[in-house]
Amino acid sequence: MTSRPAKNSILFGIVLIAALLIPAAGAFAGILAPESGGGTPNAEGIRSLYLLIFGLGCVVFFGVGGLLIYTLSKFRASKGAEAVQIHGNNRLEVGWTVGAALLLVLISVVTFIKLDQIKNPPNSSANGLSSPQNASFSSGPAKPDIPPNGRSLNIDVNGQQYLWRYTYADTDTNNLNNVFSYEQMVVPTNTTVTLSIRSQDVQHSWWIPELGGKFDAVPGYTNYTWFKISEPGVYDGQCAELCGRGHATMIASVKAVSPAEYRLWYASQKAAIVSAEKQAATARNALVAKDAKALKTAPSAPAAAPAPVAAADGKKIFVAGVPATGALACGSCHALKDAGTSAAVGPPLDVVLKGQSAAMIKASILYPNKIISKGYAANIMPANYATSLTKPQLDALVNYLNSAVNGK
Amino acid sequence: MTTTSAAPSTTAIPEVVVNSAAPRPTGWLSWLTSTDHKRIGIMYIVAAWMFLVIGGVEALLIRLQLAVPDNTLLSPQTYNALFTMHGTTMVFLFLMPMITGIANYTVPLMIGARDMAFPKLNALSLWLFIAGGIVFYGSLLFSPAECGWTCYAPLSETAFSPSNGVDSWIFLVHLVGVSSFVGALNIFVTITNMRAPGMSWGRVPLFVWTMLTQAILLIISIPVIAGAVTLLLTDRHFGTHFYDPTNGGSPLLWQHLFWFFGHPEVYILVLPGFGVISEILPVFSRKPIFGYKAIVAATLGIAVIGTLVWAHHMFTVPLPFFLLIFFMLGTYLVAIPTGVKIFNWVFTMWRGAIEFPVAMLYAIGFLATFLLGGITGIFLATFPVDWQLHDTYFVVAHFHYTIVGGAVFAMMAGLYYWFPKMTGRMMNEKLGKISFALTLGGFWITFLIQHSAGLSGMPRRVYEYADVNNLGTYNMISTIGSFILALGVLLTIINILQSLKNGAKAGPDPWRGNTLEWFTPSPPPVNNFDIVPRVRSVEPMQDIRRQIERQDRVGEEAGVAAGS
Repeated sequence: MTSRPAKNSILFGIVLIAALLIPAAGAFAGILAPESGGGTPNAEGIRSLYLLIFGLGCVVFFGVGGLLIYTLSKFRASKGAEAVQIHGNNRLEVGWTVGAALLLVLISVVTFIKLDQIKNPPNSSANGLSSPQNASFSSGPAKPDIPPNGRSLNIDVNGQQYLWRYTYADTDTNNLNNVFSYEQMVVPTNTTVTLSIRSQDVQHSWWIPELGGKFDAVPGYTNYTWFKISEPGVYDGQCAELCGRGHATMIASVKAVSPAEYRLWYASQKAAIVSAEKQAATARNALVAKDAKALKTAPSAPAAAPAPVAAADGKKIFVAGVPATGALACGSCHALKDAGTSAAVGPPLDVVLKGQSAAMIKASILYPNKIISKGYAANIMPANYATSLTKPQLDALVNYLNSAVNGK
Repeated sequence: MTTTSAAPSTTAIPEVVVNSAAPRPTGWLSWLTSTDHKRIGIMYIVAAWMFLVIGGVEALLIRLQLAVPDNTLLSPQTYNALFTMHGTTMVFLFLMPMITGIANYTVPLMIGARDMAFPKLNALSLWLFIAGGIVFYGSLLFSPAECGWTCYAPLSETAFSPSNGVDSWIFLVHLVGVSSFVGALNIFVTITNMRAPGMSWGRVPLFVWTMLTQAILLIISIPVIAGAVTLLLTDRHFGTHFYDPTNGGSPLLWQHLFWFFGHPEVYILVLPGFGVISEILPVFSRKPIFGYKAIVAATLGIAVIGTLVWAHHMFTVPLPFFLLIFFMLGTYLVAIPTGVKIFNWVFTMWRGAIEFPVAMLYAIGFLATFLLGGITGIFLATFPVDWQLHDTYFVVAHFHYTIVGGAVFAMMAGLYYWFPKMTGRMMNEKLGKISFALTLGGFWITFLIQHSAGLSGMPRRVYEYADVNNLGTYNMISTIGSFILALGVLLTIINILQSLKNGAKAGPDPWRGNTLEWFTPSPPPVNNFDIVPRVRSVEPMQDIRRQIERQDRVGEEAGVAAGS
């Protein structure tokens, strides 16, 4: 019983340390507490829950740790020290079992109280985007939670090795004309944004630390989360589930701008898509007309051999693509020594086309998913070259590739 | 008989009667073919330490790559292969065999048995484990797996991991799994059937209790992981689609099966550690364990609840909401028996006469380290908080605090504690204390700061990171700590090698232990015990010592009486 005052002073020390540490946690975000700053209610809720557990954790850690240190220093073996042969103490044992249980009950209760703030999306504010679409991509029984008044902006987040693609919901049923972006998501402030998170290859995990928790993109499933940012700014994050060699570089960011700016951005994106669609349609019509004419005028004649297309044209297509018809430049994804490109989204052509016939090269361009090089995924390369390149353009490209790689 | 035949003597000729015993075989072949639980135990430990060195070098390479932001020391491929091998090695090839090795050596001795129940099966376990290690490291010759020790599908499917590294990982899990399963059966049967006379369940040493519980956990969980990797194998090579979402399979199936094994695995690693601590603390506090029954109940409770909380590793995947709550509350429940144990251990020392040999120091290091690991577990069990912390360096720090704090430090304590029994020689205490200080200090420097790295937004398993939010500083601290830790472990290896040759002779009972292994010489003879004493309490050696004291006193009194 001589240890009573010592015990009290230890208890006092613990309370003091805990009292000092809890506000310190707020001051040193990142060292002791999660990142914050976006002002989204779910992240704030998680943070306050974290801080509560942190405070209790400190009390337990320094309490038990203090008791341990006290025991070790007080009861070290010395001359005449006699170990007291105690086998246990039922009252004490029941006491700390109940004590531990009570702490956990406390944490559970606070968790349940905070859950509404963390889980359920709130209404968009009055100064948010005036007419957010509540159309969504979700199908099937599971739907994202939407705010009580139904006004939210839904964005489809698609994880793929190794980038994020964001597609913005709109009101029509055509999913091909939606505004989309890669890596950086632009969103309006004060507006509830719901995310439908999916993956097209392996598992990824959507995480922007300042905007709340992470949600895995699991192929075959759709996961949901939301945020409502009050502070304009750029919030960075990255994929949090191992997805392959490029996992570390699979970054994401959310750029929050005022609703007015957002509307401008959205309109410009939409206009660009509409005009590109139009150009493609015109080009398609022209091609169809030309083919029809060719069929009509010379149905059987083996046709005057088409003017041999210079390999140089092929190189131009390789490097620059045909923007008018939506044919993306090969060189922006593939490395080719002759053209001086070094991108690594697709396989290096000097390697994979080596020794291939012209017909094989052509097939690889037209049907990119038929043969996939080892280590690369399907559905990365556009499959639109059959329509976005004219036949002479295609031949020129194949000729160029054949000569650049195989010297033919 | 050419000597003269003497007339029959009337006085008895003093002679030593020896039961004929074949000389103990020596040479490497006798080790390879041994079915002696002690030799198998030592081979387990030696092999485990070889893998510890390999896994440790992998860890140091990982830390070197992460020492500075945007480092280009290792390629992403090498880095991914390294953390996959590090995790797999430390779990399957270091810790599990290290525990099995110590248990193999000590459990039959502690319960007063001559050997394990199935000695040949025991040898099979050892060689299957070594085969697993060779098959796994064979993949170094082509290209090792890059999917982490969890090998999540579909990343581990052929479409995304075409190399055979994943296959060698699968075979490792199969071989080590069968090894552990057979070993668990052996331990279970040994403990239930071969205890010394008088050793009822209330007198079984706590380490033996934890090994019994661990054996049950292994028997429950190993078949599940074996099934899971078999499905992965058929997915990869025989055209099935169990985990392939494009053909109706489910990646979540893998996660459920993996963690149904993976979470009990955590207790498979730490429960024996708890057992070792429960043996060492009473011996060096010179007090009985505080609340024997409560500790046994807590062990069983942790095992039962521990098999029902696996999905807390999956809080961020799409799961029905009520499951999140179920697994959160279930995980909280595990914290209660664990907390109970920590108090029991502290109170075992309370009002004792505590001595501080290296074994005890490691046990205390265990207490402090595991305490923090347990507390950070509460953060992760709370699913909204886990949404923020999941798959970050906070989690890396947490599981190193629990696994290294809970299992590795306990096994180090066990090694220093039982080394005299195994070899007949004491380890060097001074070198041991330096090694302990470096190991514990290095560990805390390495991993405490990793909590902050995680809170600052650093996900795990990234080969590079940008220098934002002080990540560069945190990681540099962590890397420095890891080399201090490695130096500490290296000193223990040097200590072992030196002490084998030059250590002081230990004698049968250098620590004044409580349990039966200290009743027999060090190292014990092949048959362990010539006579097995009757067990009357949890601390049979205390009873024996008291009895000897009493006899001495009676003898002295008799002598005094005779002399007067």
